Amino acid sequence: MIGAALGKELALLARDRGTVISLFALPIVFIVVFGSMFKFGPDGDARRPVAVWAAPGDPRGAAVVTALDDAPGFRAVPAADAAAVRAQVAAEDAVAGLIVPPDFAPGAHPVELAIDLGQPLAVRAPLQGALTALVGRALLGAPPGAELAVVEARTPPGLSRPLDDITSFQVTVPGNAVLFGFFIALSVAMAFAEERRSGAWRRSLAAPVRRRTLLLAKLVPFFVIGLGQLGFLFGLGALAFGMRVAGSPLALVALSVLVVACAVALGLAFASLGGSEKQLGGVGSVVLLVMGLLGGCMLPRLVMPPLMQQLGLAVPHGWALDGYYAVLVRQGTGIVEIAPQLGGLAAFTTLFALFGAWRFRFER
Amino acid sequence: MTTALVAHGLAKRYGARIAVAEASFEVAAGEIVGLLGPNGAGKTTTISMIAGVVTADAGHVEIAGHDLARAPGAARAALGLVPQELALYEELSARQNLRYFGRLYGLRGADLDARCAWALEAAGLADRAREPVQRFSGGMKRRLNLVIGLLHRPTVVILDEPTVGVDPQSRAHLLATVAALRDDGMAVVYTSHYMEEVAALCGRIAIMDEGTIVARGTVDELVAAHASGAVEIELSDATAAAACAAALRELAEVTVDGAGLRVRPRGALAPVVAAVEATVAATPGATLRALSTHGGDLEAVFLALTGHRLRDGAA
Repeated sequence: MIGAALGKELALLARDRGTVISLFALPIVFIVVFGSMFKFGPDGDARRPVAVWAAPGDPRGAAVVTALDDAPGFRAVPAADAAAVRAQVAAEDAVAGLIVPPDFAPGAHPVELAIDLGQPLAVRAPLQGALTALVGRALLGAPPGAELAVVEARTPPGLSRPLDDITSFQVTVPGNAVLFGFFIALSVAMAFAEERRSGAWRRSLAAPVRRRTLLLAKLVPFFVIGLGQLGFLFGLGALAFGMRVAGSPLALVALSVLVVACAVALGLAFASLGGSEKQLGGVGSVVLLVMGLLGGCMLPRLVMPPLMQQLGLAVPHGWALDGYYAVLVRQGTGIVEIAPQLGGLAAFTTLFALFGAWRFRFER
Repeated sequence: MTTALVAHGLAKRYGARIAVAEASFEVAAGEIVGLLGPNGAGKTTTISMIAGVVTADAGHVEIAGHDLARAPGAARAALGLVPQELALYEELSARQNLRYFGRLYGLRGADLDARCAWALEAAGLADRAREPVQRFSGGMKRRLNLVIGLLHRPTVVILDEPTVGVDPQSRAHLLATVAALRDDGMAVVYTSHYMEEVAALCGRIAIMDEGTIVARGTVDELVAAHASGAVEIELSDATAAAACAAALRELAEVTVDGAGLRVRPRGALAPVVAAVEATVAATPGATLRALSTHGGDLEAVFLALTGHRLRDGAA
């Protein structure tokens, strides 16, 4: 029975271009677009331009330029005058600007840091801190004893070391895999609605098959399709976009299985609410997009304000992405390390499945 | 004849609304029973309860000797449902639809192949088997819809308005198929709004209204009882005719013409016939030479029993 249902759903999927595009092609477009928007690591020229001006012949200007060019992550862009520095920052041609006044004096006449103070603190603060330290060291010299390490960065126990040189695709592949993976929920709900409308569901109910078997036979094919979708997206991510798996592949599989199970259970919950295909398509898409946004599928939760970061855990997407980031980025991450994320996903799956089973009406 | 389907005391309520108050009927093997009623009368709910699609609040159903509540698997396996909707996957081919629903009914392997081949032939779709159903005409879809319900050789088949919206050729094909099923010994429950179809096909008819079966019988019995348009009576002599006319005044409008009477019943025909027979028996020397009805048909019965009020509900 379930084999027959799987064959039927696969044949229906093969003839449904819209669903194939939304499940398999659209995520690739999003991965490429978002991957290009969030460049970091070795992607392209990661050195961010900083406009610099100092009075001609002022050695402090040359010192700042040298310090910037020697620092990882920055490159100096000399400007004709102070106004040009400010104009470059305003035009976003430079991430920040440094204007060394001819009468530079710490405290009285400091270097002007031209920076958009309207940027989120999470973006501005690291830049402001790094440039302040860099300029201070270039103009005031290293304090006595600075040649000795004062601060040493170390990963604390409980956090495994991240991969070096990670690419943006390490983030955008799982982000979009989760976002579009949950769209299986919509396919499930719409398949129920379509069968009810056409009468095929009624015909199936009259068959000598137990109702719970009938329900399973409707859900299992979408579980298989969902696994295929995630397998395709992660496979493509690895082969075409250089995505790597820093942790255990088994953990990746376990996460993916739970993500798909959760999406299918959510589909049952949607289906249990009833409604036409049109209603489900409209409302369901918006709900899934909002869940994806909250969960960090489009913008990593890391750069969100603390409240939004917490809100992200109110949807399964947040738990899934925390797990994926750990498995994809942190070396040695196994099932034990992502147990909280697996637990979170399992809890959502159970919640959706119980709600769906409670509300679902065979005889609607 | 063996009783293939027993539906007894079926009832269904949705909240405060009573969809079916009480429905009981039996269908023998090799018999077609028509189930008629206006929209919202409870026909679809009744056949849904028989098919196990809707759980009845009361009553019981027995299909080919299997109690639907106690042995649902065996009972359902013996029943074929052809829903009013085109219950098909439009994107799939005719063969794929048949194979899927065949497997729902437990058909496998060579048996499934053979039954699919039979169904395609029976529906006249053997040469279009691989085409997506969405390319089919309405008649082709209806024919496919019908044979899917017959694929597993059910003992009882329920046909819910199987000829809606089809061309005359497809309609004739569908009706011939249904008649062949009856001739093969299948028990058929047939619902339709096409009275001439029901009159031609069905051995017995049950008419439902407001959740209850309000009349049942053969077409002739129903017409005679509920909708005889006019009755022509010929008696042995004018005296007998006058006696009968006097006896019928309260039941009908009567015109006397010598030994003949033309009677327009105000209600059912049966009391009129009974009164004539009683009067003839009580009148010395009188005999009833002929009695014929004119103008009554199933549609007249239907309207007489269910009225002319528009019905837009569905149950």
